[in-house]
Amino acid sequence: MALALLLAGCGKTDTASYRIPKEKDAELPASMTQPASTTPTPADPLVAPPAAAPGGPMAGTAVPTAGGPGLTWTAPAAWQAKPAGAMRKGSFRVTDAAGATADLSITAFPGAVGGELANLNRWRGQVALPPIAASDLAAAATRFTANGLSFTVVDLAGADPANPQRILGGMTPYQDAMWFFKLTGPDALVAQAKPAFLDFLQTVKPVTP
Amino acid sequence: MKTLLRDLRDFFVSLKLTVALLVFGMLLVFAATLDQTNLGIWGIQQKWFRTFIVWQEVRGISLPIFPGGYFIGGLLLLNLLAAHIARFKFTWRKAGIFLTHLGLILLLVGELLSGLWQEDFHLRLNEGDTKNYAESYRDNEVALTDITDPQFDDVVTIPEALLERHASVQHPKLPFRVVAKAYYPNSLLQMRGPASPPSLATTGLGLEVVAAPQPMTYKTNEANLPSTYVELVAPDASPGTFLLSTGLVAPQRFDYGGRSWKITLRPKRIYEPFSLTLVKFSHDRYAGTDIPKNFSSRIKLTTPDGRDDREVLVYMNNPLRYAGLTFYQAGFENNDRTTILQVVRNPSWLLPYVACAMMTVGLVAQFGIHLVAFVQKRRAKLSVPAVA
Repeated sequence: MALALLLAGCGKTDTASYRIPKEKDAELPASMTQPASTTPTPADPLVAPPAAAPGGPMAGTAVPTAGGPGLTWTAPAAWQAKPAGAMRKGSFRVTDAAGATADLSITAFPGAVGGELANLNRWRGQVALPPIAASDLAAAATRFTANGLSFTVVDLAGADPANPQRILGGMTPYQDAMWFFKLTGPDALVAQAKPAFLDFLQTVKPVTP
Repeated sequence: MKTLLRDLRDFFVSLKLTVALLVFGMLLVFAATLDQTNLGIWGIQQKWFRTFIVWQEVRGISLPIFPGGYFIGGLLLLNLLAAHIARFKFTWRKAGIFLTHLGLILLLVGELLSGLWQEDFHLRLNEGDTKNYAESYRDNEVALTDITDPQFDDVVTIPEALLERHASVQHPKLPFRVVAKAYYPNSLLQMRGPASPPSLATTGLGLEVVAAPQPMTYKTNEANLPSTYVELVAPDASPGTFLLSTGLVAPQRFDYGGRSWKITLRPKRIYEPFSLTLVKFSHDRYAGTDIPKNFSSRIKLTTPDGRDDREVLVYMNNPLRYAGLTFYQAGFENNDRTTILQVVRNPSWLLPYVACAMMTVGLVAQFGIHLVAFVQKRRAKLSVPAVA
């Protein structure tokens, strides 16, 4: 019995080393693959939802969880597509006549990513605004549905008069992930781009298989 | 001294102790069932059953609140053994009772050994995929892989337990030291913004992404997302501090010392001396309905030496047992194109079966002995001639 206890205690803190035949890196779930037809270079999407709960979905359900494809969108012609980089699903540069630029990023993270309020307050912090309470959330955000996706949209004008910044943010849950569309830049430029941004969100839709 | 030993013996062979332990056992199951809403099934097994003492945190202080499963089960085992040694005398008439109790002892020992030795993994296979490893449900590891050789990968793994301790690991196969600077059992990954606090990471994805620690979840439909910040320290140019997370599926690459490396945090893997290929997953339904009739995975099992190259069918209650591992059909996803097999390594898996067989035979024998004695008695009574 003592031997059994002793043996069970081993192995939890041991490092290991071994040689294996060359391995391909894990393939990403289809829901997280790069879908954007408007993105010039395919991103290297590195974030995927956590694995399903142990045991899988078999026990209590007849309906399998479908790992469908991701989201696609159509950007205005005036927006300049940028390489998406490691973490982005899509990336655009928005420019005005004076040459000022704003950055539009599209990202997706597994799970609810802390929920709407946490993300709204994170964005508020980025433009030097104080956080709001859950009771103020309804008034701070607008909601609409497009192509079967429920969007929550916020418009945050920065509180720093020396460097007036603005964030237009949209978030929507899709499959196992939360998708973020965020336009950040000078206050005047972002405010001017708001109609185009809202029209852009209307074009976001699930990729049809 | 003799009195003390006698008292001790009387205590351990006492039937009162048996009853008290059974009552404690029932209370334990009841309390653990209630606690399952907070900790989930895995959490309560560790907290209530696979422990000698149940600890509960009260205002930041851990207090012992109840004897654990090992304590109650262990005492029950001692009680049973002591009673047999001290009180019971073997006779053929009681052979059934002995065998039944022996089966019970074996069942208790089997449960203890399963608790100590059993390891659970899972294997996800898409149709056409081949894998020679399974992944843990709960344990994670940092894997550092030297990918310079075009034929082979040299892997060094560091278990989660060392990350939790913020350990510094110098492995002979690594040209740098691995220092765990932070470890979060559950975390949120977020893009870094202009106002985000400085990151611990100095290279890789951690420059763009930040991991925020979160309370652990025990809900069955949620998964924890562990993350860690790991620094690679070398005498000359250190590769830097990486943010690693099981949420970052693809490994991060870097070059050091003229060799190419990749680093990742992933579920703990066990490699097997054979490989499995999913030929087809079938999800049969009753005709005209969506009610499932059968789930099965047709798997090709191959060993590198060619001794085994065959197809096996794994379905509910028909697992594949091979090389000390058991593969059960556990789930599916991806529109019936991916199967999930539960992989169990339990060297003591036969004990419960043997124990149950012994108890069954023991009970049948005991009732049989009584039945025969009863019938003989009755026959003897009937054969006595009636007195006129």
